[in-house]
Amino acid sequence: MKINGTHDDPVGIRADTRLLDYLRDQQGLRGTKEACGRGECGACTVLIDGRPVLSCITLAVRVDGDVETIEGVTAESAELRRQFAEHGAFQCGFCTPGQIVRGVALLRQGLPADDNALRAAISGNVCRCTGYSGIVSALRAAEENIAMADSGENS
Amino acid sequence: MTTISETPRRVSGVVGQAVPNVEREAKTSGSSIYAGDVELPGLLHARILRSTHPHARIRNIDLSRLAGMPGVIGVVTAQDLPDRMYIHHGGPLSDRGVLASDVVRFVGEEIVGVAAETPAAADQALSCIVVDYEVLPSAVSVSEALGPEAPLIHSGGNVPVRHARRWGSVPAEQEAAVTVSGTYLFGRQTHACMETNTVTASWSSATGMLDVWISTQSPYLVRKELAHVLDLDVHHIRVHEVAVGGGFGSKSKISEYEAIACALSMKTGRPVRLALTREEEFTTAKCRHSFEINLETSATAEGMLVRRDASMTVDNGAYNHSGPSVMAYAGQVLGSLYRIPAVNVDAELVYTNKQPGGQFRGYGGPQAIFALESQMDEVADQLGIDRVDLRILNANLAGDTTLTGWRIDSARLVECLETARSAIGWQGRGAKAPEGRGIGFAASIHVSGANIYEGADKSSATVEVDTDGRVLLRFGAADAGTWQNTVVAQFVAHELGIEPDDVQLITMETDATPTELGSWSSRGTYMSGHSVGQTARDVAEELRLHGAAMLESPVDEVWLHAGVVTNGVTSVGFGVVVQERLGGSLVRTREITLTNVDQVNRETGISNLSGAYSFAVHAVEVSVDEGTGKVKVERYVAVHDSGQIVNPIAARSQVIGGVAMGIGYALSEELLYEGGMSMTRSYIQYPLPRAADLPEIEVIFVEGDDPNGPYGAKAIGEIVLIPPGAAIANAVADATGVRMRELPLTPDRVLAALHQRDRKPKRNYRIGQRPSRWQIAVMRAWYPRGLHQFLHKFGTRWGRPAQRAELLAVETPVDEAAASAALARPGARVIAGGTDLLPARRQGLVQPSVLVDIMTIPTVGRIEQSGSDVAVGAAVTLADLAIWSQDQLSVLHEAITAIATEQIRLMATVGGNLCQQNRCWFLRNDFMCYKRGGVSCPCYAVTGDHRYYHSVIDSHRCQSVTPSDLSTVLSALDATVEISGGDRKRSMKVVDFYTGPGEVRLGRGEYLRSVVIETDKFSGHDYRKLNRGHGDFAMISAAVSVATDMNGTVTDARVILGAMAPVPYRVHDAERLMVGRTVNAIDVAAAAEAWCRRAHPLERNEWKVQAGAELLQRSIAAALARTQSGGKP
Ligand code: FES
Ligand code: FES
Repeated sequence: MKINGTHDDPVGIRADTRLLDYLRDQQGLRGTKEACGRGECGACTVLIDGRPVLSCITLAVRVDGDVETIEGVTAESAELRRQFAEHGAFQCGFCTPGQIVRGVALLRQGLPADDNALRAAISGNVCRCTGYSGIVSALRAAEENIAMADSGENS
Repeated sequence: MTTISETPRRVSGVVGQAVPNVEREAKTSGSSIYAGDVELPGLLHARILRSTHPHARIRNIDLSRLAGMPGVIGVVTAQDLPDRMYIHHGGPLSDRGVLASDVVRFVGEEIVGVAAETPAAADQALSCIVVDYEVLPSAVSVSEALGPEAPLIHSGGNVPVRHARRWGSVPAEQEAAVTVSGTYLFGRQTHACMETNTVTASWSSATGMLDVWISTQSPYLVRKELAHVLDLDVHHIRVHEVAVGGGFGSKSKISEYEAIACALSMKTGRPVRLALTREEEFTTAKCRHSFEINLETSATAEGMLVRRDASMTVDNGAYNHSGPSVMAYAGQVLGSLYRIPAVNVDAELVYTNKQPGGQFRGYGGPQAIFALESQMDEVADQLGIDRVDLRILNANLAGDTTLTGWRIDSARLVECLETARSAIGWQGRGAKAPEGRGIGFAASIHVSGANIYEGADKSSATVEVDTDGRVLLRFGAADAGTWQNTVVAQFVAHELGIEPDDVQLITMETDATPTELGSWSSRGTYMSGHSVGQTARDVAEELRLHGAAMLESPVDEVWLHAGVVTNGVTSVGFGVVVQERLGGSLVRTREITLTNVDQVNRETGISNLSGAYSFAVHAVEVSVDEGTGKVKVERYVAVHDSGQIVNPIAARSQVIGGVAMGIGYALSEELLYEGGMSMTRSYIQYPLPRAADLPEIEVIFVEGDDPNGPYGAKAIGEIVLIPPGAAIANAVADATGVRMRELPLTPDRVLAALHQRDRKPKRNYRIGQRPSRWQIAVMRAWYPRGLHQFLHKFGTRWGRPAQRAELLAVETPVDEAAASAALARPGARVIAGGTDLLPARRQGLVQPSVLVDIMTIPTVGRIEQSGSDVAVGAAVTLADLAIWSQDQLSVLHEAITAIATEQIRLMATVGGNLCQQNRCWFLRNDFMCYKRGGVSCPCYAVTGDHRYYHSVIDSHRCQSVTPSDLSTVLSALDATVEISGGDRKRSMKVVDFYTGPGEVRLGRGEYLRSVVIETDKFSGHDYRKLNRGHGDFAMISAAVSVATDMNGTVTDARVILGAMAPVPYRVHDAERLMVGRTVNAIDVAAAAEAWCRRAHPLERNEWKVQAGAELLQRSIAAALARTQSGGKP
């Protein structure tokens, strides 16, 4: 596998080691959080080959592909992260790395146009603090600003 | 020390501005350090052995098997600790030690702490400790605890606090024209902070210092408790700064696990981390108390309130904690909202053998307001006065003092009411609302910090400026997500004319900040506004004074701006001023004491508890599905009087988040127990609102100064979730005419109330005509008459759960034959998406030693279409099948997109969904039930809470159902499963694949290979599902497929109910009434009802029969309609 662009050949990891623990404990990538440990909250979301994956229910030995964690998408998510602060899309911040990683995946493919569909798309990520409105509007604002910046560059 | 002399007014500057969070970079990039991210050399991992009984005496704890266990470094029991109780409320109310020494009083109580090199080694150690219990009779409900035979939970009796408040009196001329009364029940809610309670502790015997990193809202209160129970000097404990992943009140005092990690560190001499699991968090963290409130409200014919009489019973759980003050505060709320001449409150706090209640955002307010505001609507309706007008008539006004002694200096309740009314578009009761829609209002009042402890009326801060001009704030509170750190930076920036981002912060560090009790009781902004604001003003004053001298200007002609003192022409930097005039350092510390508050009066309940009182009015529009009982919030407006808003981004986010939490307790969140054991241990079993469950929430601030508030501000943090319960219940009453008095408003409760309204006759279940059901009926009848107890007590001793096994390998076969060979070995199991298998392993349901990964076999990961037939490989993810089916078979698309969440669907597979184990919350939560332990064990669902996830038809010993939504829709599509097993291949209809709840016909070495669907077999389809929240499993699902001929005659039909029976239930009765008739001639209602007489519901899930028939009727009608509109929907 590759982690945030760097090749990594995990040797000697146990069959039952979760990707989450591998990233946090053995790679020192502590931005990925555990909140439920059973696939119900999205705090541990990472991307594998661009696809969101819940690292708490993923066995590390099965991973074969490019893993991107919050640490690997901070630059790409700069605008989204800025909007998170502008829109009150985080409070305690514990769900935030998962929300950002999920958001990056959504922005790459283009947000669903309909707000209900967007809300459904982020419903795998629990946030106990914000009530989600800020997250929805931050995603929208980020997409808009990124598009504007792109068209600005192209013109 | 100073007392407040001047109250800063809002001036133009950063107070009041939309300032983005000052910690945004760290918080959004994953670089914030939470307590579980602190790395120390030699770190050990701790786990806690907890009671498995609700009430038992500990005869002996056998630790002998731990000796020499690899990786196990330290163990603590009560014997290792000083004989101390947590202080909590102090005096006789202190009732809990760190570890149980003698008696355990709830399932989950801490008995032993273990520290090991790895979490797995610590877990292993726990399984080797043997506790010898003498099981005592338990009282797990208030009625049991107050009953004549009740066991004594604590030696002083089961009612630690009882009080009778008599406030005011009714003037002779005020005659009550109307009196309404009712009993209001409020369930247990839990905070469910996203970060579980976590501590990292490090003891140094060389220095005698204990360093702790704790997820807390109040470092100083935690330090005080730790020092007490560990018998250390407070100055030998240093609490350090960490990011805190949510608090909502739960972390405003000690959380009763921290000391265990500290004790382990002291014993082993190594740093120790203890992070609770989500399951521990749900089952042991203190929760919102459940209340029963009997309330009576009287008013005159003109609508003036006359009196309120309440008696409250509060389920305390096993220990006191905040119970006494939560109960007292709820009473004060009853005595404070609206002008009212007389209020009486009788209250008792009752111990039960359950996880204890504690402090939770709102602090008794939600419970009191639910009763109080429900009755305001009833009074208004009975008097024929508009519901908002009645509230305006009685609203608190500035200058009032309530019966409870609350001095209200600013009140914009009337403005809030008027604003909410127009924002939601309320036209009065008579106005025509769309079918099933209703509007409700509720108002609230709340403190801005309650003076309930010594020192709670004080706050302090230190502000420093160094020779480089850098500004530093030292403040002892913690920001658990309230944006407290941003707000205090704003106060400093505002006074010093700099940017909030330029204020450096040191928070939480007990060695590096002046004493500050922390962020709780909505005191954060209010208290810090005073202390930080005042300290920063002192510093500003110094800078101006000396800067002016250096600039040779009069002091009143210079100001601070962007790090300099300036007179508009010349300027001098802060650093230069400090260097040249202040000897190289400018440090000011101030402790402020509020002068306008009283000490709490525990005798009378009368005192001015707080410096300011906030108000709020929420207006909500709901829709009620009268067929299924489902309540949905359609629109929400929250109007708040919190004085001047310091930071609109933060305040708005607080309101929306609080409303979401309030909608949670109003509609779905509730901790549930059976025999004192919890069935709600995960986000799925405890459905808190997700993004798709919520509407956009409109927030309106009715701003204005509070004369005593810092910068005119009052609190916002807690009041946000006090009105939702009452507002939503009022809206449901408006929509249906039915007054619901028990929260949460779950579909079963709503449906039962609607049936009562309509006086619907009870259904007749003719089990008499079905001899096969007699035996089951007899068994069920014996359950409450001793059979359950017998099986629970004795049968479970013979329980045979899956043996723990280590997972040794994951095999990746290259083809189907290799997979079959690998699977034929003992202990082998298929893994595909892993979304169920790994949680089930954690729950002890499966213990594979080898996993066989079928995702790597190309032939089972494909969707292959030939003509109208499609073969979907078992390893195809639900997300990929959703994409394929969108245009090809939209009913399948609809069904799939209603499964779990998109994240799960991206991982979960078709085969995994079809083969998943049942979701019974007894099975999934450690109950030694029939399914887990075998025939000698009881099914806990027979007498336990089976309202949502259990069978209403055809069940036998196990009352659970097959949870797979795919099984429902694929059965309706008459799909076939193909099973692979070495050289053998076989196939069968999906509907025949199941033998029991989540049990399938797969032999050793066999696995589900693919599903084959004939896509044009039917021309009309429908699928629908009722669940508790987005992502949840079905409580009921219905899928219907219909084929018609040229004449519109139905030639074939499949009618399936999901989550209603042990297996997908094919409704032959309905199909018979459909096939052979033309679409228009079908009696849809009769077909949808046809199966009901065969149903055999349990006592509390009969509603599923009603709602199931309704859902089926809609589904049949929709499928038939689609055959006419040309087939594909
Ligand atoms: S921690 Fe992985 S989904 Fe919750
Ligand atoms: S910001 Fe706290 S859980 Fe989302």
